[in-house]
Amino acid sequence: MMRRVALAAGMALALPACSTIGAGEYGYSSYALVQVRRVAVGDGSLIVSPPRPYNRHRAFLWSDVRDVEDWTLNGPYLDGISFVSGLKSGAYLIRQSKRADQQVPKFRDDMTPPEIAAMLESLYRVKGGAVEFRTLGLQPRTFLGTGGFQLDYEHLDSDELWRKGRAVGAVINGKLYLILMDAARSHYYATVLPDFEAIAASAELRR
Amino acid sequence: MCGRCLALSRRSLLLGGGAAAASLATGVANARILPKDMVPLVGPGFKPTDKDEQGIWQLMDRAEEEIAGSNLLITDPALTGYLKDIIGRVGGPAAQDFRIYLAHIPDFNAMMFPSGFAVVFSGLLLRMRNEAQLAGVIAHESGHFLRRHMIRSWRDQRRKTDIFAIASMAAGVGGAAGGVYLGDYVQLAELGTLLSLFVYSREMEAEADAMGAKLIAEAGYEPIEMATIWQQLIGEETASARYRRKRRRRGSLFDSHPSSDSRLADLKLDAAEVRAAGRAYDVGRERYLSRIASIRPTLLDDQVKLNDPGASQYLIETLAQDGWNGLLRFYEGEVWRLRNRHGDDVRAGQSYAAAVAYPDAPADAWRWHGITLMKAGRAGEAKSAFARYLTMKPDAADAAWVRQTIG
Repeated sequence: MMRRVALAAGMALALPACSTIGAGEYGYSSYALVQVRRVAVGDGSLIVSPPRPYNRHRAFLWSDVRDVEDWTLNGPYLDGISFVSGLKSGAYLIRQSKRADQQVPKFRDDMTPPEIAAMLESLYRVKGGAVEFRTLGLQPRTFLGTGGFQLDYEHLDSDELWRKGRAVGAVINGKLYLILMDAARSHYYATVLPDFEAIAASAELRR
Repeated sequence: MCGRCLALSRRSLLLGGGAAAASLATGVANARILPKDMVPLVGPGFKPTDKDEQGIWQLMDRAEEEIAGSNLLITDPALTGYLKDIIGRVGGPAAQDFRIYLAHIPDFNAMMFPSGFAVVFSGLLLRMRNEAQLAGVIAHESGHFLRRHMIRSWRDQRRKTDIFAIASMAAGVGGAAGGVYLGDYVQLAELGTLLSLFVYSREMEAEADAMGAKLIAEAGYEPIEMATIWQQLIGEETASARYRRKRRRRGSLFDSHPSSDSRLADLKLDAAEVRAAGRAYDVGRERYLSRIASIRPTLLDDQVKLNDPGASQYLIETLAQDGWNGLLRFYEGEVWRLRNRHGDDVRAGQSYAAAVAYPDAPADAWRWHGITLMKAGRAGEAKSAFARYLTMKPDAADAAWVRQTIG
């Protein structure tokens, strides 16, 4: 019953026992297959090529942000890759109540990489139940052919599992584009990292 | 969506057990419980003799084993030793029998388990202003054990709850299905489910308050601090709710007591009654600050990054009543930066600039000061702020980004 954060489905996964829509209930699968070919993600403006089949988390109409999409290989408790396909200034990574005590900060187009990193950190703390979060590295990196950044981090969640992640992103024409992987630190991180790198390298904007 | 989750989340030791406690209450306000009547019902080395209590202790031993092995615990011997010292002073006859664990969870909470071990959340250490306050919370929890509240509550309720249910939960069978949260941040194995069966009535909370006041006064702590903790907690919740334009949200928990005002009044009366004429009482502020100094930046970081600006700002201002410093000014800036409303960047920048004027400003204050200056187009000053940051933290995780930025 831990908190596990996939960007779009964070709330649904956070409280599975309380959710009215549980994975697999009513003969409905929460996942759809992603084939090994060029595929548009998020709102369709970002295109990537996965090196092997992945499972895409279906959007929940009431909890989703259009610009965000989540994939997993072994299930969201173990690994996940999330795409942010052009989040506008003033928007949030997840849907949240304006009256919630604790909130993931909104994105602004003048954010520097440390500010975007801090926004992601709060996402894990507020929605992911992370009790410890360590930034391992923040460095410049080219992404989508422009000057972006790479953030490496790890976090201890309330299910007592250490997870590790990498995010690669850039702000282009005032919108945030980002690909992020987050996986159990032992075994799964190393397993998914090559896929993540291949996907990040394949990423392009739809013209 | 899940009323039960909400009712049980963020249980606070001062607030009692929520819905279940309310159902136990008689509905009639009782006469005030006097500290002088609070006699411990257990002696040193207490072991249960009744079958039902022995069974509960066996389950609790297993729960304690799980907790003791959790990687959510803070195990720094300086901090755990400090907590052990305090419970050794305010634990009454069971002082030497108690075990106490510190969990890394940024919430206001502490709890006593039926077999005499306590878990304190790190968020509690952030909120306490002195040793007397920390001792007050620990003494309150000790009071629940010394007055045998868990077994009393269990026996009150057992017609409603089958002993086999509790056993199967402990075995991990029913735990997941229970879906009960111990707090917003943690579910240590099935302990949330176990704990939810030991809820305290309002009378028990009043007993623990009175017993706690008596215990800390006997140990030489200023007993009025018990009431101050209560005031601080109400203040924080009110500030958090006001910020999100809603009423204080823990109404249902407060309802398990006659009213928060009368409880506060009772605590003040307790404090007056337990004072001995001519005796000096200490709050132990300096000692407290020096003992938690190593972890205080982490505690602030944990709180502020939850982006609950009302609560965080209230906490920072409460702590700053004992004096502003670079650390508190820096985190004040972080509150504004994360809130990120119109004009907050300017507010944050002012706080960072104030923070770096103090000798104890953390390295991160220099980094954020630099970022603010850079965004304001003051490149030269930004460069020297970043240089200062890298001097203080040469192996900073973001050093590569900072070096590229200053060119």
